[in-house]
Amino acid sequence: MSLRVGRSQPLDHHRRLVLLAIGLAAGFLAIGAQLAYLQIVTGNRLAELSDKNRIRLRTVTAPRGILFDRNGLPLVENRPAFTLAVVPRDADNLDAVLERLAGLLNLPAAELQERFARVPADSPWPVRLQRGLTLDEVSRVEEWRLELPGVAVEVESQRAYPSTRFAAHLLGYVREVSEADLARGRLRRGDLVGQSGLERLYDEYLRGRDGAEQMEVDAYGRPIRVLQRQEPLAGAHVYTTIDRRIQQAAEQALGPRNGAVVVMDPRNGDVLALVSNPAFPVERFNGPIDRATWASLVEDPARPLLNRAIQGEYAPGSLFKIIVAAAALQSQLFTPFDRLSCPKEWWFGGRAYHNWEDHDRGPLTLYEAIKFSCNTFFYQLGLKVGPERISRMAEAFGLGRPTGTGLIGERGGLVPSPAWKKRALRDKWHAGDTVSLSIGQGLITVTPLQVARFMAVVANGGALWKPRLVARVKALDGTALASEPAVEESRTEIAPVVLDFLRQALWAVVNDGGTGKGAMIPGVSIAGKTGTAQTHEFKSDAERKRRDQDNAWFAAFAPVEDPQVVVVVFAERAGLGGQVAAPIAREVFKAIFLERVAAAGLPG
Amino acid sequence: MFRIDRRLLLHFDWVLVALAALLIGAGLLTLGSLVPRLLMRQLVWLGVGVVGGLVLISIDYRTLARWAYVAYLGGLGLLAAVLVLGRAAQGARRWLSVGPFTLQPSELFKLILLTTVAAYLAARERERPGWDRVILPLCLVAPAFLLIVKQPDLGTALVLVPVVAALLFVGGARWRDLAILAGGALAAAPAFWFILRDYQRERLLVYLDPFRDPLGSAWNVIQAKITIGSGQLLGKGLFGGTQSRLAFLPERHTDFIFAAFAESWGFMGAIALLAVYGLLAMRGLEVAATARDALGSLLAAGATVLLVSQALVNIGMVTGLLPVVGIPLPMVSYGGSALLTALGAVALIENVRMRRFV
Repeated sequence: MSLRVGRSQPLDHHRRLVLLAIGLAAGFLAIGAQLAYLQIVTGNRLAELSDKNRIRLRTVTAPRGILFDRNGLPLVENRPAFTLAVVPRDADNLDAVLERLAGLLNLPAAELQERFARVPADSPWPVRLQRGLTLDEVSRVEEWRLELPGVAVEVESQRAYPSTRFAAHLLGYVREVSEADLARGRLRRGDLVGQSGLERLYDEYLRGRDGAEQMEVDAYGRPIRVLQRQEPLAGAHVYTTIDRRIQQAAEQALGPRNGAVVVMDPRNGDVLALVSNPAFPVERFNGPIDRATWASLVEDPARPLLNRAIQGEYAPGSLFKIIVAAAALQSQLFTPFDRLSCPKEWWFGGRAYHNWEDHDRGPLTLYEAIKFSCNTFFYQLGLKVGPERISRMAEAFGLGRPTGTGLIGERGGLVPSPAWKKRALRDKWHAGDTVSLSIGQGLITVTPLQVARFMAVVANGGALWKPRLVARVKALDGTALASEPAVEESRTEIAPVVLDFLRQALWAVVNDGGTGKGAMIPGVSIAGKTGTAQTHEFKSDAERKRRDQDNAWFAAFAPVEDPQVVVVVFAERAGLGGQVAAPIAREVFKAIFLERVAAAGLPG
Repeated sequence: MFRIDRRLLLHFDWVLVALAALLIGAGLLTLGSLVPRLLMRQLVWLGVGVVGGLVLISIDYRTLARWAYVAYLGGLGLLAAVLVLGRAAQGARRWLSVGPFTLQPSELFKLILLTTVAAYLAARERERPGWDRVILPLCLVAPAFLLIVKQPDLGTALVLVPVVAALLFVGGARWRDLAILAGGALAAAPAFWFILRDYQRERLLVYLDPFRDPLGSAWNVIQAKITIGSGQLLGKGLFGGTQSRLAFLPERHTDFIFAAFAESWGFMGAIALLAVYGLLAMRGLEVAATARDALGSLLAAGATVLLVSQALVNIGMVTGLLPVVGIPLPMVSYGGSALLTALGAVALIENVRMRRFV
């Protein structure tokens, strides 16, 4: 060994190496001691556990968070439910066990077996077979317990809905995690996950964190004792902006018709109700759904899985006249004092364009044209204003793009323009396109939620809100996990006088003998616009008269002097907006302004 | 450059090679008993590692140190490349594909960083140690550390900590500065917390408290404990390990291979394996103490701490003493990059040892 001289501090250097060695030695000693403890002191016991592989792990499912309405009423709740599970390792003969279970519970054996296709035969993890067992089924399983090695009945909390179809699209459904979600990680097979609506959007918060139990089991797989238990962390509560009472009233008002109702607060973009019909029975999705039910829902021509309020894209029809009027006034190409004719048919490009009424109303002001929803007037006005100004105004009102709720599958509708048509369809824009656009027909489409947002702009004087569905998320102990403030997406550049004018004209639609008189309620000043959108070319004059295959719209807000609520009704293939949609909106308004209506109804 | 001096061969340390061979042998044996199909791949890596080690031995460590900064820059580039081009697996980007094999640059970078810091400290050895003795090496470490954390590969990043600490310590940093550094690191930990992404935080919390994730880490730990404990005094024999063979034990051929080994060979075997690491530590530090110059001493000490601290952390985690951090057992775990790195570290120690009189 050569201690070299001439180093600056050789002695200190060596001392430090020795200290390093001592440090490492301490590590070795600690590990040696732990090995002795594991293998010699507790070796016997651990060997016994390993012999039979007697440790079982069981998840303790975290109860899902509750969705509340704006007044703190629950929109959905939990109840305990029984879940049937099998631990493959404990089932001596898995196929025989499944066969027996299938017979006992009347389940298709093939589907049970399918659940084990991706699970190793000696897996120690329980595989959930069936959720929502009845007490009777549970007792049948318990009776046969000894013939069913590896079978376990777990208690989990499960979703309970106030009524089977209440707010089905909005809340969404909860289902076992799909293979695609599993591949993305963080979830385990058999976990329940929100698959649509708010359940999906807020799944991270609602889900909570599962706990687990490590148990020692006997040779039959029956638990002897719990070795360790980790309590689950319950999911957080989500406080929505929905008003349960209004949601119920809107669902009731729409009745059996296919369509959608959106209720929004124009002062902050809060969505108070979001209805889509037909709805699907939410709780049916909870458990493993049988194929026939699934197929019937997917293939149903009424498309119950489609959330018409955000995923349905429809021609706005005459609702769009509001935007054409706004573009005309704002560009100053037309004033409230100018007049245009309103014939029953109007010839352009060698073709007759009809009004929906059968008589000539003579020259009208814009105010009157909106009130009577005169098509032939608006054809001419649209040509005057031009398609660019109209489509720009439509975009300023938030059309042509999703509103940004984050709900899955939200669509953006379409605002056509000459530039868009050239780009997307490689086709020239014709004057006929402008004519169709002027009354909200042709290529333009909107979703009911977009309509609510654009009516809110008219109502509140220019603020385009991002629709808000959830106000905040709170943990069980009350700590705030997230809060979503109201977001003003943009301020529409429209002169206040223009919006004032529109509000007056829309008031006249309902209260001054216009097309929307079906929505009138004493005591509440409602302003609105009807829309009747053709869904196909008329083949005969008789069909033109009947119009029972048209989409009916009514979009309104109230009270006019201080708008607090926007109601949009869309009824699919139901008839005229004024006849079908306006009375539905009336019912919704009546429910919202209950006290005012009652007060107005009192004598004296 | 590859001409080898006869005197060097004379001083070649067979004890070091024998210790490494024992560890590698134990690893191959265990791997062969658990997952035989992977044996061939590991043998190929072993071949590559031995050749690489011989090349490393044949170049004087002082020459290596001169190239350290170049290698350091290249290594940083490689780490950056991983983030861009790397193969992603299990939510992390750590690997570069080389034909059918994948390389984990963060593993190999440990050697480069070790050499670079040692070269820096050795160059300043004669000066009075001051603040810069601690700060400047840390400036070398920081960018690499951040790149590795970003992959994210917390295990590898954490292994750098004892190595750098040992180098600073042996390299003559003042006690006061080291104490301040340790205090500063503790104080900075909360700030570090905010840089992490949510799931990284979650993982860190699971490291600290495995029972946060009772179905993942906690399950691994309790199964590993049962596996080790059930080996008792003498073990169940090479093919008798029921726990590890029946796939009860997760990652049984990589990070948790020690558990499988301890099940087969019992307390005696486990202690023997531990002893081999202990002898390796003694030999490595002896090489550091008898090295010809400060550079050699630092290289040997750093490489020794690299190997031994990883072994201690790995076994500590498998036996339930430490939180679960995903790092392999040097020379025993399955995995190519880790084996190359470990052999490289052994080669560095040998390099210094051979040239102690030259």
